[in-house]
Amino acid sequence: MNTILKLEHIQKYYGNEGNITKAIKDISFSVKYGEFLGIMGASGSGKTTLLNCISTVDTVSAGHIFLEDTDITEIKPNALARFRRENLGFIFQDFNLLDTLTISENIALALAIGHTPARKVEPLVSDMAEKLNISDILNKYPYQVSGGQKQRCACARAIISNPKLLLADEPTGALDSHSSQMLLSTLQSINEQLNTTILMVTHDAFTASYANRILFLKDGEIFTELCKGNDSRAAFFHKILHVLTIIGGGQSHVC
Amino acid sequence: MYAKLIFRNAKRSVKDYLIYIMTMTICVTLFYSFLSISSSYYNPDIGSEYDVTLLSDGLKTAVCMITLLLLFLIRFVNNYMLRRKKKEFAVQSVMGMEPKTIGRIFFAETAMMGILSIIIGIFLGVLCSQCMTAMLLTAFGRNYELSWTLFPDTVLLTVCFFMLSFFIVGIWNIHTIQKAKIIDMLSADKENEPELTQSRWILVIVMFFEFFTVWMLITGTEKAWFYYDSRFAFPVRMMFLGNIVFPAAMLLWSVFRLTLFCRKTARSKKNKYSMHTLLNGLLACSALNIFAAASVPALTGRYHLSWGAGTVRQYLLFLLVHLIFLICALIYLFGTFLASWKEKSPEHRYKGENLFFFGQIISRLDTASKSMTIICVTLTLAIFLFAAAPVLTGWSSGYLDMRSVYDVQIFSRYNNVYEEENLPQDNYQAITDFLREHHIETSYDCTFSLYLPDRNDFHNRGKYTFPIAAISLSDYNAIREMLGYEPISLADNEFATQWKTVAAKEEAEKFLAEHAGIMTDGGALTLSRHPYYNEAMGVTIYNSYTDVLYIFPDNVCRKLLPVIRNRYIITTEKITYEHAAELERLFTEKYPEQTEEGAAYGVRFRTLQVNSTKANNFILQASMLYGAVVLMVICLTMLSLQQLSDAGQYKYRFSVLRNLGVEEQRIEKLIRKQLSIWFGVPIAVAVAAAAIVIAYFIQTISAEISAYIGYTALLLQLGATAGILTVLLICYFLSTWILFRHSVT
Repeated sequence: MNTILKLEHIQKYYGNEGNITKAIKDISFSVKYGEFLGIMGASGSGKTTLLNCISTVDTVSAGHIFLEDTDITEIKPNALARFRRENLGFIFQDFNLLDTLTISENIALALAIGHTPARKVEPLVSDMAEKLNISDILNKYPYQVSGGQKQRCACARAIISNPKLLLADEPTGALDSHSSQMLLSTLQSINEQLNTTILMVTHDAFTASYANRILFLKDGEIFTELCKGNDSRAAFFHKILHVLTIIGGGQSHVC
Repeated sequence: MYAKLIFRNAKRSVKDYLIYIMTMTICVTLFYSFLSISSSYYNPDIGSEYDVTLLSDGLKTAVCMITLLLLFLIRFVNNYMLRRKKKEFAVQSVMGMEPKTIGRIFFAETAMMGILSIIIGIFLGVLCSQCMTAMLLTAFGRNYELSWTLFPDTVLLTVCFFMLSFFIVGIWNIHTIQKAKIIDMLSADKENEPELTQSRWILVIVMFFEFFTVWMLITGTEKAWFYYDSRFAFPVRMMFLGNIVFPAAMLLWSVFRLTLFCRKTARSKKNKYSMHTLLNGLLACSALNIFAAASVPALTGRYHLSWGAGTVRQYLLFLLVHLIFLICALIYLFGTFLASWKEKSPEHRYKGENLFFFGQIISRLDTASKSMTIICVTLTLAIFLFAAAPVLTGWSSGYLDMRSVYDVQIFSRYNNVYEEENLPQDNYQAITDFLREHHIETSYDCTFSLYLPDRNDFHNRGKYTFPIAAISLSDYNAIREMLGYEPISLADNEFATQWKTVAAKEEAEKFLAEHAGIMTDGGALTLSRHPYYNEAMGVTIYNSYTDVLYIFPDNVCRKLLPVIRNRYIITTEKITYEHAAELERLFTEKYPEQTEEGAAYGVRFRTLQVNSTKANNFILQASMLYGAVVLMVICLTMLSLQQLSDAGQYKYRFSVLRNLGVEEQRIEKLIRKQLSIWFGVPIAVAVAAAAIVIAYFIQTISAEISAYIGYTALLLQLGATAGILTVLLICYFLSTWILFRHSVT
């Protein structure tokens, strides 16, 4: 399998001389096509900073990030938005849906912004809605649907323009356990059926257990890595808990 | 401790309070500068022939009445501040602070900002009052110099008025804060999921409107019943028909839709769309009704329809109501028009960020159509006031120049005299005595009679057939000389005519064509080769209800019945205000307005006429401009605040766009587009509505405009008004744009 994302010695510092906070000390890893990678860590471990750097929302202090063959740390600021639009999809903890648009319009917005021909928009939206089982709420407004449905809508919006990489920041953070489970199954099926590469940041062991591989961050560095391999999800979940216990902070989840 | 908190809060959130301070300062500045004219310390050098007290009382009343509108603005700005600070209040509440204390802290903060505004406002007011003095002195034809004076009574009144307003609004704010729930305040800035339901205000408007339409239908039918005549010209017949058919069509449409609506509600819940169809129909009908109602005053003058001024006023009211309804319905339906256009045109809908743009505009229109309508109607009124002020004052001063051509004008009327021996024959000696006594020199003095061409017409008192009076050639030439015009000459058997300035030339030509010869008690006369004169000679030279005066040779006049005795005087120096007032009192004592014999006398002094007209003009102009500026400021502030108060929501929405990969330039473009629509729609609707009203207004008084103002001067005035409006609008638009950009990035 080829590599889609490659991080080389990423460092990120905040503050100025004399008062520097190292959010990311030195991180290098790569992600293969079609992989479902989870990034875990306690608060302040640098996982969201890492995601922001990959998503070009933030810049790195040192190091390089390659998406396929493009070094995204070298892209000029005025070309970043276009790069994000054409290559990345986002799912946020708080859905990031527009309350002034219906569910179908929210999904179509991603296509419209990407200059998809008008006649192709509606068939693509209904096709995607069918895949994510939200066809019956397409004409409703975000405030009329449940959190799980909103997140699936956000999911549809993120993948409708066929991004090379789907970035999810705590996607189940605002959902109940049932909705979380449904969303994660959806993400898993997107990963398996559409072969979308997913990079998901979470602090929740259950959520992380849906990934194929997990990177554990601690104090701005990769602490360890865990691969699912041929394990069942339950076994993988226990392994994750075990690592969390070692890192510290995961014990409370177990007890 | 609390004082420290208040000061720190105020210092920290001075940027939040910027709009508040700005609005308050504008209010105080306007209030002070307009009121300064009425100060008892105000004593501009406008000359001994004028009396400034005349205008101070009138202006004070006008300013105070208009300023009541400012209370509304103060309340609106306070509400905006309350919304902005809700989150802060919630945190203070959660920390255990008493709601009463929170309210008081907010009250103290706003009062502090208010006091700051009053200080800046009074300072700016002093500057602006210089402009007012300049305007006043220009009105009275004097030069002006800048002077820095602070009027204690105006300052006191300004401080008291605004402190009282702050106090009342502050108490209300404390009450609101006490009643608010912590949870609502906590989530105040997260209200990004508003209920997209439209308010029911339009139903109330429709009901009121239906009531007026019924009234219009009844009036139309009644007028047709009493006044309709099949011999009327075609446009008049159409007017009668239109004022019955259009209101009836409107009511029938409403009844039809409501019946359908009631049936439908039983089956489906698509009330909103039924309402829109009803409104679409009403909108079309109201446009037709506007046309029908507007035709009444227009045709009344042209075709001399005999219904009184009451009917005209009634139709003006209908016109106004229909215009307001048109604005309401247009704004209400604008969102629907936009939504249906969006639905029908996928290529526009899915083009770039259009989906987002439509969403922004439609959701805002759905929830804010009421305030948008109020803004629109108010703006229309403001624009109309701006445009009408110079027209009315121009008319009034133009008329003054035409009627006040002599220093003293003594005139008489015989309308209630029924015996020839009771006709006025006096030479007004008392006036001569007074002038001599007070050493007032006269340069011209002319006492003359007006005659009836036919003695038999003496008893003709019909309003529409009142006889035209005649003047002898020598008297006419004496008056011409007095006014600096060349004398005219007539052959023994010729006559000429003198016309009022307001009379249309076509009317005069038509009259002269019909009166080539005239039979008088002194013999037959034919029209001179130069039969038409229209120099301004005052209005007392004409007989009642007539616009024309015959000029006959002296020997003919000697054989006619003199019915009116007038005396015109021009003095070498202007008569002072005191002398004029005293002489007027003396004259009225000796020659009452109505004598027992029936003769009526009157006296006009240029000094008094000019003084009262200029004072009234100034009050009219100042209060109309003040009203217009106040209304304009209210509207533009509301428009601006509506956008800025939702900046929290917009920040979130634009951040979603950024996350989806929309470039900053495109976001900038969206912001500009959104603000242009938000400012553009109400202003475009208001300008269109005001243009209709102004055009109609100008058309109705076109004779007076061409006689007293002139169309070039009018266009210049309207152009200046448009310029001021544009500058105000650009200022508000730019400041809103800058603040908006600042809050969403």
